[in-house]
Amino acid sequence: MATNSTSAPAAKGVADTERRRPRLSPDTVSGYGFLAPFLIVYLVFLVYPLFRGFYLSLHQWDLLAGPLGWTGLQNYQDLLTDPTFWTALGNTFYFVVLTVPLTTVLALVLALALSKPTRTNAVFRAIFFSSSIVSVTVVTLIWQMVLSPSRGILAQALGTVGIPPLDWLNDQHLAMLALVIATVWWSLGLPLMLFSAGLQQIPGDIYEAARLDNASGWRTFRYITWPALHRTTVLVVLIEIILHFQVFGQPFLMTKGGPAGSTRSLVQYIYESGFRDWHLGYASTGAMVLFVVMLIASLAQLHFSRKED
Amino acid sequence: MSDATTGRRRADTGRIVTLTVLVIAAFLWLVPMIWVLAMSLKPNEVLMRTTAGLLPVPFTLDNFIQILNTAKVTRWFLNSIGVAVLMTGITLVLSSLGGYALARIPFRGARIMLIFIIAGLTVPEQAVFIPLDTMFASWHMNNTIIALVTPRLAVPFGVFLMMQFFKAVPKELEEAAILDNASRLKIFFKIMLPLARPALTTLGIFTFLYAWNDYLWPLVSATQENHYTITTGLASLQGNFAQSEGLGFLMATAVFASAPVLIVYLIFQRYIVQGIAMSSGK
Amino acid sequence: MTDLKLQRVIKRYGDDQVVHGVDLDIREREFVVFVGPSGCGKSTLLRMIAGLESISDGDVHIGDTRVNDVPPGQRGVSMVFQNYALYPHMTVRENMSFGLRNIGTPENEIRQRVDEAAAILRIEPLLERRPRDMSGGQRQRVAIGRAIVRQPKVFLFDEPLSNLDAKLRVQMRIELARLHRQLEATMIYVTHDQVEAMTLADRMVVLRDGRIEQAGAPVDLYESPCNQFVAGFLGSPSMNFLPASVTDHDGNGVWVDLAAGGRLHVPRDASRVSRGDSVTVGLRPELVSPADDGVLSGSLDVVEHLGDQTLLYVRLGDDSTVIARDEGSSTHAAGDTVRLAFSDDACHLFDGDGRACPRLPHAAATA
Repeated sequence: MATNSTSAPAAKGVADTERRRPRLSPDTVSGYGFLAPFLIVYLVFLVYPLFRGFYLSLHQWDLLAGPLGWTGLQNYQDLLTDPTFWTALGNTFYFVVLTVPLTTVLALVLALALSKPTRTNAVFRAIFFSSSIVSVTVVTLIWQMVLSPSRGILAQALGTVGIPPLDWLNDQHLAMLALVIATVWWSLGLPLMLFSAGLQQIPGDIYEAARLDNASGWRTFRYITWPALHRTTVLVVLIEIILHFQVFGQPFLMTKGGPAGSTRSLVQYIYESGFRDWHLGYASTGAMVLFVVMLIASLAQLHFSRKED
Repeated sequence: MSDATTGRRRADTGRIVTLTVLVIAAFLWLVPMIWVLAMSLKPNEVLMRTTAGLLPVPFTLDNFIQILNTAKVTRWFLNSIGVAVLMTGITLVLSSLGGYALARIPFRGARIMLIFIIAGLTVPEQAVFIPLDTMFASWHMNNTIIALVTPRLAVPFGVFLMMQFFKAVPKELEEAAILDNASRLKIFFKIMLPLARPALTTLGIFTFLYAWNDYLWPLVSATQENHYTITTGLASLQGNFAQSEGLGFLMATAVFASAPVLIVYLIFQRYIVQGIAMSSGK
Repeated sequence: MTDLKLQRVIKRYGDDQVVHGVDLDIREREFVVFVGPSGCGKSTLLRMIAGLESISDGDVHIGDTRVNDVPPGQRGVSMVFQNYALYPHMTVRENMSFGLRNIGTPENEIRQRVDEAAAILRIEPLLERRPRDMSGGQRQRVAIGRAIVRQPKVFLFDEPLSNLDAKLRVQMRIELARLHRQLEATMIYVTHDQVEAMTLADRMVVLRDGRIEQAGAPVDLYESPCNQFVAGFLGSPSMNFLPASVTDHDGNGVWVDLAAGGRLHVPRDASRVSRGDSVTVGLRPELVSPADDGVLSGSLDVVEHLGDQTLLYVRLGDDSTVIARDEGSSTHAAGDTVRLAFSDDACHLFDGDGRACPRLPHAAATA
């Protein structure tokens, strides 16, 4: 029998099946059950320490004895009037300002040069990425050796054309540059890969259309490649700023923050306050300041990476 | 017609020039590592006279043999292996379970949990390493492998990566399994995990590299020399290299410290590239 | 005995109601097809029966059991998905055994059922293969095999043939019809393709915007559509609709003036219309052919030669187009003036709201 529909309003007596679903549905149980192992570790080892760090920054703290006394915002005041802090902050900014543009431009140029998906290009990319695989201690060791005026390969190479060796790491004007060079060598891999991935996402037929339209290499880059890479570039720059603002190993191991504190980074300052001078509360204060700066940058990064969704 | 041929010739010379530049650049890029490798294969006495040369002539394996005979260095190496393996294994478990839940289980509060966890991506390790150290100190657990491994398990990157992957699995696959009377656990183990092998491999590699190369936290947490990882241990050698062990030995330690990660890189290159694309693209 | 009953079934997403109180009784062993344009709610309805979507209001009974709160795997249904949803890393045999294993069926019974299903679908040689090593048609068979193995009370098909190429689709259609006879099972089939619907269905349910427009045997729906939507949805090329106005009516039918020119007598019940009303006359193209004494006249716009028939697209006086059909190859060419004829009985009449005026009990002799 054919039945025609009746657009019936929901009868009052008929129960709403969905409202009757129990609070603890099997999905809720399994959802939290699966998430729990990670969640526990996350709460204990990331969320809690974050708040504890803030708590620490309001105290004078000994590593084993615990809090020695509430100091309130005294630590913050001390921090903001400490010239070493400001030098370290300034050094870090200087470092970032030098490293990020250099790395970004170099990575972009290489990515463009290696954009065709050939075997040779893949090998080249692998070579330029390989320097990013080693640890910071290996990198600093390598570059300390390379830049050494007495035994370094750079001094030897320059010496063959009559240029006298430079004492990079002990020269107040060159030390930061030395760190930048080593860092660029070390960190080129990631932006290179990000740009390569970004370039690959540009559909090939746009380039073919451009060729039919007689676009030269430069015009193709300026009007087609560059606009398409815009979002990737912003992301790369933000990631690098966040990464390099946290620099520690390079100044700590290569120059110990010198000469005359000209390369001391913010994280190094925090570390030294905490584990050399044993002012843990004060060090936490510095860490909180770092966190706020990083939070702003990270939020910017998240904002830009979600935009395309 | 001649325009086309000169045009082509211009393009060809351009290509040759680019290629030459690239080859030179790539070579120069590798020089620091080649040089260090060469020094590691030369005797200490020779290096005291001169460090020049990219070829390991005269050749010797003495430096590496000496490493294997130096208890503390091999100890560091084993510590690194222990930390890296543990961290990788546990991270894979936690991240895949958590990532699946966030991607596919419609549970109450899932949205809030997601935001809560993604927020964790903004916290740099430098903001928490001091309070973490006080925590482990108060438990008297500094200088343990647990202290080295656990803080890093909390990084949300792994969960995020696995979530992205599981989201991409077609919903119908799960619905078919639900109709087949499979419980969530069964769906996870019998269907999701086997499919996730490439994502798990990528995450595993990233975690391994991260664990191996970690410097700040092991520096702070493992203060006793026999608990150093190879990364912090190498740093501790740099201070007195000129005097005691010798330059060749130091270089060999650097090579020794880098060998595992470079080998992993060479074998699993593909996954690293894919992983970067995966986490940045969407 | 009813095998499946839908009562006042409603689906809401937040404040948005997408299925508005559907009532339907499905008998045992019926092949019912839900058909309609995208977004009409047919898939949603199917998924509510399967348990993959919750039921906001109303009841679904399978057999004597109310299944609203029963988990999908325990309702006694099997589903064949549009994208097959085969487990990619398992062999065909493992795919088909998975469901039975989960409920603890003994291994030898699993083996037996899988072998039987494989024999019915002729996929025995594929049993040890993986989905990625098979063609679309083979995968679809495996998906059906997986459904058969569970011996469900109701088979559910969610547009299973949409991903196959045209030729394969026709082949599979025939197989499905054969399968239905062989298994003697109740099947609910969702498709947007009205040809599939017409050929497979014992009963067709036409849906639009979350409501059932009409349900019944395909032939009934084709010949007696209850409204303009159903009339236009079924049939390819679709029915011609000619606007008209009522000039007179009596017990023998309705007289109308066509906007395109001409007067018709339509032997339909006049109770819905009055003098002066705007109505629509419906004519199936296959019942309209060129003839010298035709009522309609216009110029030939496009001629489509299909081999066994020719479709003539004729532009009428009011610039509307009528599709007519000529047997074999037509001699008419674009630009010609043609006259089109059809019998009064062939006319459908739809009132101002699009509802069909029913046929008179005995078609009176045309004037």
